[in-house]
Amino acid sequence: MDEQTAVPFIDVTREVDLAARFPEAVIVDVRKEYEGYIVNRDRLIEVATAIRDELGYDYLSSVTGVDYLPDGVMEVVYHVYKMTGGPGLVFKTQTPRDEAVVPSLVPVYPGADLQEREAWDLLGIRFEGHPDLRRILMWEGFAGYPLRKDWQEAYFEEEGKPFKNRWPDGQVYRIEDKNPYENNVQYPADFIPEEYEPENDALLYDSLKRSIRGRDPELETDVVMVNMGPQHPSTHGVFRIAVALEGEKIVALKPVMGYLHRNHEKIGERNTFLQNMPYTDRLDYLSSLSNNFGYALAVEKLMNVRPPERAEYLRVIMAELTRISNHIFAIGTFLNDLGAYFTPALYAIKERELILDIFEATTGSRMMCNYFRFGGVTRDLPEGIAEKIHRLVYDRLPQKVDELDLYLTNNEIVRSRTEGVGVLTAEQAIAYSAAGPVLRASGVPYDIRRADPYSIYDRFEFDVAVRYHGDTYDRYLIRIDEMRQSLRILQQAIKDLPEGSIQEGKPQYQVRVPAGEAYGRVEGPKGELGYYVISNGKPNPWRYHVRAPSFINLTGYETMCVGNKVADVVAILGSIDIVLGETDR
Amino acid sequence: MDLGLWIEWIVKAIILIVVLLIGFMYLTYMERKFLARFQNRYGPNRAGPVGLLQPMADGIKLIFKEEVIPKQADKLIFILAPVITVIPAWVILAVIPLGSIQLFGRTIDFSLAGDLNVGILYIMAVTSISVYGIVLAGWSSNNKYALLGGIRSSAQMISYELALGLAFVGPAMMASSLSLARIVEAQSKTVWFAVLQPIGFVVFLVAALAEINRSPFDMPEAEQELTAGYHVEYSGMKFAMFMLTEYTKMIVVSVIAATLFLGGYHFPFLTDRWPWLGPLVLFAKVIILLFGIIWVRATLPRVRYDQLMALGWKVMLPAALLNVFITAGVMYVLGMIA
Amino acid sequence: MIPDLILFFGLALVAVASAIGLLLSRSAVYAALNLILNFTAIAVFYLVLDAPFLALMQVTVYAGAIMVLFLFVIMLLGAEKLSTGPTLPYQRPLSILLAVILLLEAAYALFFRSSPGAPPAPALAGFGSPQAIGETLFSAYLLPFEVVSILLLAAMVGAIVLTKKPRRRG
Repeated sequence: MDEQTAVPFIDVTREVDLAARFPEAVIVDVRKEYEGYIVNRDRLIEVATAIRDELGYDYLSSVTGVDYLPDGVMEVVYHVYKMTGGPGLVFKTQTPRDEAVVPSLVPVYPGADLQEREAWDLLGIRFEGHPDLRRILMWEGFAGYPLRKDWQEAYFEEEGKPFKNRWPDGQVYRIEDKNPYENNVQYPADFIPEEYEPENDALLYDSLKRSIRGRDPELETDVVMVNMGPQHPSTHGVFRIAVALEGEKIVALKPVMGYLHRNHEKIGERNTFLQNMPYTDRLDYLSSLSNNFGYALAVEKLMNVRPPERAEYLRVIMAELTRISNHIFAIGTFLNDLGAYFTPALYAIKERELILDIFEATTGSRMMCNYFRFGGVTRDLPEGIAEKIHRLVYDRLPQKVDELDLYLTNNEIVRSRTEGVGVLTAEQAIAYSAAGPVLRASGVPYDIRRADPYSIYDRFEFDVAVRYHGDTYDRYLIRIDEMRQSLRILQQAIKDLPEGSIQEGKPQYQVRVPAGEAYGRVEGPKGELGYYVISNGKPNPWRYHVRAPSFINLTGYETMCVGNKVADVVAILGSIDIVLGETDR
Repeated sequence: MDLGLWIEWIVKAIILIVVLLIGFMYLTYMERKFLARFQNRYGPNRAGPVGLLQPMADGIKLIFKEEVIPKQADKLIFILAPVITVIPAWVILAVIPLGSIQLFGRTIDFSLAGDLNVGILYIMAVTSISVYGIVLAGWSSNNKYALLGGIRSSAQMISYELALGLAFVGPAMMASSLSLARIVEAQSKTVWFAVLQPIGFVVFLVAALAEINRSPFDMPEAEQELTAGYHVEYSGMKFAMFMLTEYTKMIVVSVIAATLFLGGYHFPFLTDRWPWLGPLVLFAKVIILLFGIIWVRATLPRVRYDQLMALGWKVMLPAALLNVFITAGVMYVLGMIA
Repeated sequence: MIPDLILFFGLALVAVASAIGLLLSRSAVYAALNLILNFTAIAVFYLVLDAPFLALMQVTVYAGAIMVLFLFVIMLLGAEKLSTGPTLPYQRPLSILLAVILLLEAAYALFFRSSPGAPPAPALAGFGSPQAIGETLFSAYLLPFEVVSILLLAAMVGAIVLTKKPRRRG
């Protein structure tokens, strides 16, 4: 690859100066180690529209809130990017903590939908004008906003908690002990399980009814509400989809999540920076090494370190192997969702196992790898593993990817089930902040490895996979394409793997992270995985936010599903490829 | 009626039921074993040598399972539905001809009902009422998934019954009889009707898969959409009866397919020489067909409900009709020549 | 003779009981199930009368196809939960009148038209066989057969038209 195409998309001719464009509404963020602009909240929509339309930042990557308790303000942070590539733009808006209200950006960036709901849910920032502002990860009626710094957890909360005993007097009890239904079968006298409807579901059903569209005007029919999940074999975990059906046709759909919520971000803000690393494994538990990667990048930006050469190569090798294992598994389970009785899934798992063998040998664990460190990786490749990877990426995997392609791609039933189903156009995909394979299958050739290269991806020769129909079939095909491209990267990386150190400086248990903010993002297998980290110089992060692709890709889920049949709900979900550990965090 | 006939009937009925029960048990084993080999696995291999006792273990487990009846279910129908499902699957085999031998000085026909002159109609009649169990199970469970499964299955079975019935017409015309024994005889004189009636045979196989709700047409119990469809609320032996029905139906359609299109109990030269081989020949043909059904399940994804209906009405039905017309035309022309 | 009588009265009991059950059951689904049972019992009657073709047709068409569609509709519409609408005021007297007329006709036929006590003529050879029915249906009764098929087609078209909402203009 020649120099010109290595970083092809960056538009350097146009200097962004938002503060000059809106002198009375926008100021430059001058806090130390902070970047971007602070926008007056009254003119947020106007400024955001200008950012999108005039400056061309058409893709809203991440929305999150930060609670600056000492200053008494809440800040909402927006990261936007151009779909033509290049570095992004950060803008923020501030609001008093007690009366936290910010205009919603959903009219400008529809992709803010779920993310604003999350900020409302966890931080209590009300987004005025949001079409459907309900709690999303916590349940309706939950007391308080857990990510606020003055929110006290139910049983204990001590300052500087990470190193203190959780139960100071040794008195431990479980919440289940206080549950009135403790034996699972004893209900209150007048409790009829069949008629019980959780009172807070009323909001969900209201919202579902409001968004019904596309009903057949000719036929007089009833709309049936069906809840798929949270106990359902095809939702890839405890995920619930409330659908309104007219016959077999979907007229409205709402994803309901949070059943696996553990407030990963709150935990992250209590842990030290390094303690967080194994927690990131549990986000998308099928691709822990990619999760490590993003978090390491964000913290390394704050610490201003770069890993040594060999560690960079090892990172790329591990991340790309993860992508293959994730995609092959995604295709297997996707076929399962189409009703192929486990056969493709088991063939896919067989190859995935071989990749996991390498992870196990190198990192010590098959799934929860916990491999990355700030400025390096934990372990070098053991003896013989480099050759094993070599054999895998040169011989076995290319052959197996071809085999999958051969048997599945032209299967009559697969094609008739997926072609033209669940279409997301390029405009919609960008608007809904879809990322990764979902975005690229819609005809947007946006891959962070190429558009805004991190680590050493600018050294490898590979193509950005792109497909143009935006349907379920293309989302399947794009994964095959991406596996082939990953194999190309791997073949180059394993060949050029240099010798040398794998850790910059001395490995430390406690890293010192200077105050500041950083947003590190990687092209994870499921899409753009971003970490927004704020340090105030203390051992643990002040704010730790994860931009989870599994979560944000669901923003466009309803649009993809409406008008299709109920069987397609499952197929489309399978083609988005979510992992609930990441969706619910 | 003489006593001998009664004894003969009872003995044959018991043998048929025992064969079907054992067939069901070992069909589950066969399916699990084959599926496993299709999928890089071993399949059941713990209970008994190479897992041969697995069906017993499953049976014992299901007997001791708690039977859950949903509170809002319609209890009478909920309990009756599995029984209603099982009966058609069992009685349908009564008319299958199996050949006959001379024993104790009398001609013993292996088949239960003997040579019924409306055998095909009997099969049609029984298949047409076999949907009730599923529909009633779906309705009485008071569960949306179960109801959707029940509705799907009734629509599906009605649609495919037409194609199935028309696929019967070909062999009946060629044998000039509705009696299954005549049809087998006609095949023993010429060749298998699968050769003479290729369209009819394919239509029959596809429609039969849909009729017994097997993959890729397993809409009523589509796990990925309806969790388990009509039997989602069933447990224990009632659940086992649905499974029993499903597998018995697999055997039944294989037997019917073998009888109508693959020469039934007859095999050239073999059964002419040794008539007692008849049931065994049929058994071998059935095993091959069952293997095909399992193979399809292991490899194909499920079609969508609307695609299934479109296939049934827009492809299968016209194809079956066309087959009838072609058969009639050819027979008429041949009759003119002769 | 005795087994035949037992069979006959057993069947008669089932047929009459299921007919009464059909009339009396409050739930539409149970009514439909009773009707299916009734149809099946009548099919067995045909079988006893040496008409296997008719018997199996009864099961296939009535118990199989038509009643499945009935159940289908009942379930889809949730009709089993609907309360019965207001009855017509003259419904009851009219039904009694019709029943009396039917009884009188039956009595007339029984006592005056047929010679009492004479054994029924034995069925002809091949009576009720598919062949005999086919020949009769497609020769003597060809016109009614075709007319009925057109009638059914018209009914089908009518059903489709009825499901559509009246199209509003403008």
